[in-house]
Amino acid sequence: MSHDQELDARGLNCPLPILRAKKSLNTLDAGQVLRIVSTDPGSIKDFEAFCKQTGDELLESNENSGEFEFLIKKHA
Amino acid sequence: MPKRLKATERRASILAVAKLLFADKGYHGVSVDEIATRLGVSPAILYRHFDSKESLYEEVLNELACRRESYVDAIVTGDSDFASVLRRITRIYVDSVARDPDYLRMEMHSVLEGSGATRQFFENRWKPFSDYIEVGLKDLVDEGYNMTVSPPVACLMFQGFLREALYAKCILKSGHYREIELQSLVDQLLALFFKAIGYDEK
Repeated sequence: MSHDQELDARGLNCPLPILRAKKSLNTLDAGQVLRIVSTDPGSIKDFEAFCKQTGDELLESNENSGEFEFLIKKHA
Repeated sequence: MPKRLKATERRASILAVAKLLFADKGYHGVSVDEIATRLGVSPAILYRHFDSKESLYEEVLNELACRRESYVDAIVTGDSDFASVLRRITRIYVDSVARDPDYLRMEMHSVLEGSGATRQFFENRWKPFSDYIEVGLKDLVDEGYNMTVSPPVACLMFQGFLREALYAKCILKSGHYREIELQSLVDQLLALFFKAIGYDEK
């Protein structure tokens, strides 16, 4: 799936991936998509909770060889 | 006659009582008989759930050491500047420790005993702060801030300040800070911390 901006949060632990994601999403327009790559296993739950609270849409959440990929669509 | 509990309930009650006693007296200060007496059951019931006192102790330690706070609320709500976020995540952590100060006691026992759980305590409880401060200060330097201490020193200083407040108020009940609430003490120590590292909150 295509995205408008990418955030490399590898090597960062909670709360940094969600803080960086919040800052990145603030620069996007409604409907645009942010791709995040993280290595913190806690980020799966964190991004689910993050999107519930912000109203942004978690389009995808995947794990591959210890890396986690999230696609978040900024809410309208 | 002790109430009959389901296996999971019994196991949880054993862990809860064992945590209280181990936190208070350490591994060597507590016997299986004492835990059983406190629970109102025979030692045989304990051995049905745990092979030995050592395995019970390890489970108590691991359960505490692997617990992580969620800081999503602290990130989503409010300003995203370095000091505001650090204040909010510290507040969540301090509330959690105040609710369960046995965590600090068990962490201390684990350090003194050289237990492998010490690393887990650090990774899950303290490293989020160290990482946040280290990365946050590097970002501030990139933005042109002139910090007076290096990030690793700032991390140690923060942990020292926070431990001082938590030990004084949650464990030692120190007379030194009797007049001040825990969160107010932490706020004051954080203000000192920001000043010490050369961070101007304006």
